[in-house]
Amino acid sequence: MSKKPSSKAAFLSLSGIHKRFGGVHALRGVDLTIEQGKAYHLLGENGCGKSTVIKIMSGAHEPTEGIISLDGKHLNYLSPMAALEAGIETVYQDLSLLPNLTVAENVALGEQLVAGKGRLLYRLDHQKIKQTAIAALRKVGLEADQTLLGKTISDLPLAIRQRVAIARAIASDARLVIMDEPTTSLTRHEVEVLIEVVGRLLDNNVAVLFVTHKLEESYRIGGEAIVFRDGLCVAQGPIENYTRSQLAELMTGRSIEATRYRVGKPKNTTLLDIKDLSSGHAFRDISFNIRHGEIVGITGLSDSGRNELAMALAGHISIPHGVLTLEGEAIHITSPASAISYGIGYVPEDRLSEGLFIEKSIYENEVPLILNRILGKFGLLDDKKGRAAAGEISSGMKLNTKDLDLPVSALSGGNQQRVLIGRWLSINPRLLILHGPTVGVDVGSKETIFHAIQEMAERGISLIVVSDDLPELLQNCDRILVMSSGRIVENFNAEEVSDDHIYQSMITSPQETA
Amino acid sequence: MTDKTISEKADYSPDLERKWIFFLFKGRPETISLILLVMICGAVAFINPSFFNMSSLVDIARASVVIGLFALGVFTVLAAGGIDISFPAIGALAMYGVSSFVINVFPGMPMILIILFSVLIGATLGAVNGVLVHGLRVPALIVTIGTQYLFRGILLVFIGTVWLMEMPSQMIDFGKFSLFEIEANSGVTVSLPVYFLVFPIAAITTWFVFNRTLMGRAIFAVGGNSNVAERLGYDLRKVRIFAFGYAGALAGLAGVIQASANRMANPFDFAGIEIGVIAAVVLGGARITGGTGTVFGTVLGVLLVTVVNNVLVLVGIPSTWQRVVVGAFILLAAAFFVLRDRKSAL
Repeated sequence: MSKKPSSKAAFLSLSGIHKRFGGVHALRGVDLTIEQGKAYHLLGENGCGKSTVIKIMSGAHEPTEGIISLDGKHLNYLSPMAALEAGIETVYQDLSLLPNLTVAENVALGEQLVAGKGRLLYRLDHQKIKQTAIAALRKVGLEADQTLLGKTISDLPLAIRQRVAIARAIASDARLVIMDEPTTSLTRHEVEVLIEVVGRLLDNNVAVLFVTHKLEESYRIGGEAIVFRDGLCVAQGPIENYTRSQLAELMTGRSIEATRYRVGKPKNTTLLDIKDLSSGHAFRDISFNIRHGEIVGITGLSDSGRNELAMALAGHISIPHGVLTLEGEAIHITSPASAISYGIGYVPEDRLSEGLFIEKSIYENEVPLILNRILGKFGLLDDKKGRAAAGEISSGMKLNTKDLDLPVSALSGGNQQRVLIGRWLSINPRLLILHGPTVGVDVGSKETIFHAIQEMAERGISLIVVSDDLPELLQNCDRILVMSSGRIVENFNAEEVSDDHIYQSMITSPQETA
Repeated sequence: MTDKTISEKADYSPDLERKWIFFLFKGRPETISLILLVMICGAVAFINPSFFNMSSLVDIARASVVIGLFALGVFTVLAAGGIDISFPAIGALAMYGVSSFVINVFPGMPMILIILFSVLIGATLGAVNGVLVHGLRVPALIVTIGTQYLFRGILLVFIGTVWLMEMPSQMIDFGKFSLFEIEANSGVTVSLPVYFLVFPIAAITTWFVFNRTLMGRAIFAVGGNSNVAERLGYDLRKVRIFAFGYAGALAGLAGVIQASANRMANPFDFAGIEIGVIAAVVLGGARITGGTGTVFGTVLGVLLVTVVNNVLVLVGIPSTWQRVVVGAFILLAAAFFVLRDRKSAL
């Protein structure tokens, strides 16, 4: 489709939008403008009103005050139906795909639902479903053969699911696609693919609005930055006009230096020596050592074996071959419990489902590893001792609340992560493995997590940080190991390597370097 | 960097294709039931060739109707992410209520109206389940345990507790009317009653709803993930009321057929049948957690359970062993499904 400059007139604009939830003033007079065929990046810390504003655009919330203009028509609010009719589609973080239906059905059933006008006994048009699905999947670069169309969503990898979700969004004539943190669980390669897909949408005159924490990618995609702080849109303009630190300052209202957090130095003594570790197809011939108080970053594509290596060291998957020497003594890690007995802790990437008891209180989340220490008479738990211990953890981790009975689900991502790290610190670990420590965490909280990581290293705890976020590794680690196809292909000194350099080695397979 | 073009054939099918055997089962979990069914029939026919004569086949066909109708209803509810254990009570209430209505109020009621009336009672009671499950946001298991007692109680308190032995003639005629009759070797005439046709017709109707209408996809959508389905614009209330109402309607139909075939109406009938029916549906490949399964698989599961219940006697296995065999099959199938899922998750 050719780009017509005339079609780039304002398509959707918000002016003076307020939204109150009871006593909370979530949006305090937001103005912003969306034109077709352009990319937008909605930036801001958690709780700044980003999700409220996209819900107003998609019709899920009604603004308390203000005007929405759609194609020049003034409206007081947008109903979900009106938003869909106007071509405003949202790809939520969970993708909202139906796991047990096929790709074709997921992409094209919406159209049938509209055609049926709510009558569910409407006869399905299988031919139309197929046509719509093929056309939409092509637009996101998926070859829509019969095998793919008939695949069940739960059989597909996440990156493909995401493209299916985008295909569904554009299956009917979409003019604005809102993507809520689309790259959170994608690898670098998959992000590249997503960026190309976005390019196609823009060429087709579709506007794309990203809600994101990842500035790196926003710069790559280009377009306009929309920065939110405390329920206000504090800036909108071409993203290349802002530096990273300017954006961070706009988001937080204070300046955040994007410098290296790592100030200390590891000791010269070796904590853990890893020799010739192999586990089936997952990883092979892994050898490296970690010194006391050292921070070692491990990165690589998601199939590089880095996740499996981290989980193997934490006892979550078994290690068939290799020798582990902890402070001169050979050890065998057979289960998470045995890893803990050696003082090795693991903070999983998906803290909501694997790390935290999300509906339980901060108290209950902080003490599970030290239950033996808070026993009272008759071996029963002593609530007083437990609360004292939990209170210490909370203040040690600088949680933003002193309330121990608050459920952790009420905390922000950054504070949840601190609860989890605090739980591990309570057993004075020798080695802590952090998997994606800042996934889904806003700029301000990232900083405090980084400080916590550095403090742990200062206390002599060794850390392994497994992450996709290269700047994060560069800012925090002593060394960065790069894995590819199950092997360690590079061992960089974090102070002497660049982002690009690491990325190059990630996408080069060991066969090519050999 | 040289990125591959995004139109590359994405690697969305890991090792699965190589293991053709798991691939076969992956798409069609009911294959296990089919294999079990063929094996049993083969073994029984080998030991006792009289299995393949008309009279035992007709017996199986006749016995499969009521459990088959119930199973199609249970399948529909399971697919929508619910579960129904009140259907035996619904079937009994419809059966007894309609029979006593015809006997006491409207003796000349045409058979077709009798059937429709029973289906209507069943659909209404089923819809009550749907309304409660949706409105109270209580798990369907709890709701239908409650309504099961409620429906059975209403039947016993308000309608009657005595067996109706003098059934209306049109129901008796319907139960006797046969599709064909043949003289068996022993000299006994065996006949396949016309009501047998109700099962295949109901199966085809259910298949049509599931595969050719939006409702079928909506049921799977709600069973797969009700939050997502709601966000995408599916009307959960309509879907739930339909699924439970449809199951109720089939239970009402099963009730009237049971009364016609047995020439009596017993208010305590169907008690305890629910586990066997749910077993048949699960053997047919539907997951108890919802969103999966096929009509074909359900029919296979019904045939498997019916065959086990009817033919083990032919090879000299006491009927008390039926339960052991059905239990073993369920565990076998369950182990198989789990294995298959683990295989595909790798």
